[in-house]
Amino acid sequence: MKSAPLRVPLSDSEIEVSIRGLSVSYQTSTGLYDAIHDLSLAIHRGSITAIIGESGSGKSTLAMAMLNSVTFPGKIRTGAIDYADVGDITGLNAESLRRFRGEHAAMVFQASQDTLNPLKRVGAQLLDMARSHGLRDRKAILREGSLLAERMSLPASRVMAAYQHELSGGMRQRVSMIFALALKPRVVLLDEPTTALDVLSQSHVLQIVRAIHEERHLTTLLITHDMGVVAELSDRVVVMYAGRIMEDAPSRDLLRAPRHPYAKALIRAIPRLTGPLDRAQALPGAPLELRQIPVVGCVFRDRCTLRQSICDEVTPTLREVAPDHRTACHLEVEA
Amino acid sequence: MATSPANVQSFYMVKRPNALAVAWKVIVKKPSRVIGLILIAIFVLMAAIGPMLYPPVLPINPLAIYAAPSFAHPLGTDFQGTDVLAEIITGARFVLLGAFFAALFTVLIGTSVGLAAGYFRKWRDSVLMRITDLFLTVPSFPLLIVLSTIWRFTSPLALGLVLGITGWAGLARAVRSQTFSLRERGFIEAARGIGLSDWHILTREIFPNIAPYIVMNLLIATTGAIYSEIGLFFLGIVPFSTNNWGVMLNMAFTQSGAMYTKSGLLYLLSPLACIMLVTFGVVLFLDAVDELLNPRLKGV
Amino acid sequence: MAFLKVFVRKAIGGLVMIFVVASFTFFLIRLMPGNPVTTKLNALLATGTPYPIALSKVSVMYGFVPNQPVWQQYLTYLGELAHFNLGESISYTGVSVTHIILSAAPWTIIMVLTGVIVSFVLGVLAGVIAAVWRNSWIGQSSTFLATFLHGIPQFMLALVLAYVFTTVWRVFPFGAPYNAAIQPGWTPAFIGSLAKHAVLPVAAYAISGYGGWALTMRSSVTSVLGDEFILAAELRGLTRGMRLRYIARNAFLPLFTTLTLSLGFMFGGSVFIESIFDYPGLGNLLTTSIGAEDYPLMQGAFLLITTAVIVANLLADLLYTAIDPRIRRA
Repeated sequence: MKSAPLRVPLSDSEIEVSIRGLSVSYQTSTGLYDAIHDLSLAIHRGSITAIIGESGSGKSTLAMAMLNSVTFPGKIRTGAIDYADVGDITGLNAESLRRFRGEHAAMVFQASQDTLNPLKRVGAQLLDMARSHGLRDRKAILREGSLLAERMSLPASRVMAAYQHELSGGMRQRVSMIFALALKPRVVLLDEPTTALDVLSQSHVLQIVRAIHEERHLTTLLITHDMGVVAELSDRVVVMYAGRIMEDAPSRDLLRAPRHPYAKALIRAIPRLTGPLDRAQALPGAPLELRQIPVVGCVFRDRCTLRQSICDEVTPTLREVAPDHRTACHLEVEA
Repeated sequence: MATSPANVQSFYMVKRPNALAVAWKVIVKKPSRVIGLILIAIFVLMAAIGPMLYPPVLPINPLAIYAAPSFAHPLGTDFQGTDVLAEIITGARFVLLGAFFAALFTVLIGTSVGLAAGYFRKWRDSVLMRITDLFLTVPSFPLLIVLSTIWRFTSPLALGLVLGITGWAGLARAVRSQTFSLRERGFIEAARGIGLSDWHILTREIFPNIAPYIVMNLLIATTGAIYSEIGLFFLGIVPFSTNNWGVMLNMAFTQSGAMYTKSGLLYLLSPLACIMLVTFGVVLFLDAVDELLNPRLKGV
Repeated sequence: MAFLKVFVRKAIGGLVMIFVVASFTFFLIRLMPGNPVTTKLNALLATGTPYPIALSKVSVMYGFVPNQPVWQQYLTYLGELAHFNLGESISYTGVSVTHIILSAAPWTIIMVLTGVIVSFVLGVLAGVIAAVWRNSWIGQSSTFLATFLHGIPQFMLALVLAYVFTTVWRVFPFGAPYNAAIQPGWTPAFIGSLAKHAVLPVAAYAISGYGGWALTMRSSVTSVLGDEFILAAELRGLTRGMRLRYIARNAFLPLFTTLTLSLGFMFGGSVFIESIFDYPGLGNLLTTSIGAEDYPLMQGAFLLITTAVIVANLLADLLYTAIDPRIRRA
């Protein structure tokens, strides 16, 4: 079931995470470059928001920034990331930040990532997590873990006693989800949840995500480059390119009527199940490298078929072009 | 993409406009590499012409035993009043020549065994690897000592051969695994597919790809061989035929009492310093060789 | 029990290796220019020893009768070996090789074991420092020191230590494992003398091993730090102590095997140090036996040195299986 697109402006109480003026930059030998540039975004409570874009668009960096864990040589340069009931996490001290991670917001890793200590059993690592977060009843985390495992149709007792190398890719992904949910966080970030999975596991994982999201009233952020995942799961889509938001709209609106040329191109690139294969058109050109991102003008102009002289001279701002639909393109007039 | 082996080969063996000029550019990039090259050049020169500069038997002088450094004796004299600098210069040839042969044999045996094992696999691989394991397991220095009982290796060539025989196993294992990884990249199958002979594939397709690794090992093996050589002479196990740094150390330690007197310092220290300087030179220069042979690392 | 099968196969492989080495030394002596067995026999005959007595003396020394066919000698030799009879020493007349080796072994074991432990502990700490603070001066100087010490050959280290601390500054005694003037026994004076004489050899061994441990640990920690599960642990909010334990256990794993192997190499690895500091261990035994043309002793010492390595190899396999779950069920 998908919630109807939100039409009424949101009040602050309905926003779970609010990102304001976020810039994440990387220090290289030739200077400082922004992987995310002056990005503002409100993530609605209880929504599934998809962040979409090619590799290098800054979506993974955004996810890392949302847990304030951008690693050297990257750094959050400016901006604030406000979580409801927590405040700006860029200002948290080390201990509070540690507690925040896992308890308030958690990350689910890709199936291909080895995110478990290879020398410890799954259950023992859950206990380590309970200890780290000062749970009084540590065994409770094992019960919770088993419950979640069963919820994801995994053999609970076997998984709890398993080492990482004994789990298949699909199982690892779900175990990663168990770890993310074990402390009952309010916000869950999923990093490319369907990559490296076969089609059947993909749809199973998506079902689980959708179900648990609703059961636990989570606010879910979905990082993906798969438009199919977006269509199936998300309420809202944020299209990113070169560290900036190109378009931000309810999923149905965006999939049906994308406004930004980049969003249009992304959607055109999806192969359909029906119809001739060549209807899917690959995106021309390649995504920008960090150092090539222009400082002035539209960052997408080099690959844009509708490029005009204004695109070189003026940086487009993200504006509302339809109710609850924002885009950053000179060709779109304000609503 | 199914690259034909010929293409792969030309990719790895790009003809550079002027190899020497490129090498020179890489070397002068860092002062440490220049220092390495200079050190190596000095010692090679010493080995080449050193023995010609002095009489075959160095003069002794009973009146100047352990003389302090002077204009006539820049490094002082030894327990017989012989000039230490002269001993160092004339002693370089044996050490370097021995080390060169040792490295050569190490690489020759190690590469052949490793290539054969990695290429043919199956029973040939397991037989060769059993032998390699044996040589890896038996501690090489004690083995050298034991071998010295039947083999009076007095010439640099013989000494180098023995060091090669005892020291090739590690390289063989590494070459084997490199050959394996080339196989995984579809190299060998592609070459076989177009009907090339085993010999051609081994020497023309695989060898050029692991050659950089082997050249690096040749240089590293040289320093290891110098240590072993000097060690053997130092322990007095190998009969002394000519003067060299190891013999000097043995004399300083066992016969002359240089260990027990402060005035013997230079006699003891000079060969040690030379060993360190040669090694140091090789290690510094290795960096340049690495960059020359591994284009992927360039600019990092 | 797939694992047991693998282990049994490896154990058999080890036995084969010992057999090969034993055979090698047997034939080596026979190949020697001026076959030492015949030489010894002739020497005894020349001193006027009657032939049968000379023959039996030589056969006791080498464990076989010289004028038998070679294959029969070989079988006799292997039979004696199976009963740990390594023959009689030539230089220490009438003493069994097994006895000499067993009395030399403790010197080597104590010195090398202390040296390995000291170098391992210090090296591992330095390696962690070098990896964790690799971008600061402290990590870089730690790496530099390790690389430098790793490049110095053992005999050079021992010589320099001996020269500096016994000749330039007479801080420590030189040569011999203890002061000969003190009566051996469990007295404080004797033990103190032992310790004082052991400082330099142990230091030489420890310093020569330090660099290798530090560099290995450094690369191991660096590789674990880059592993995804360390980042994941941080994002799950694990405490710093917990994360350090994760890193330590994973980085330590490969070093365990190396540690076991290095204990196997200790019998043969100390040839230089023992001969420079005149320490009566196995390495020294090997060199002096060659100088004295005491071939049975050489044979025995070499066999023990090699066997130790082979046994250590097996132990390393066993230990690794015990501590790494990935191997256990594979």
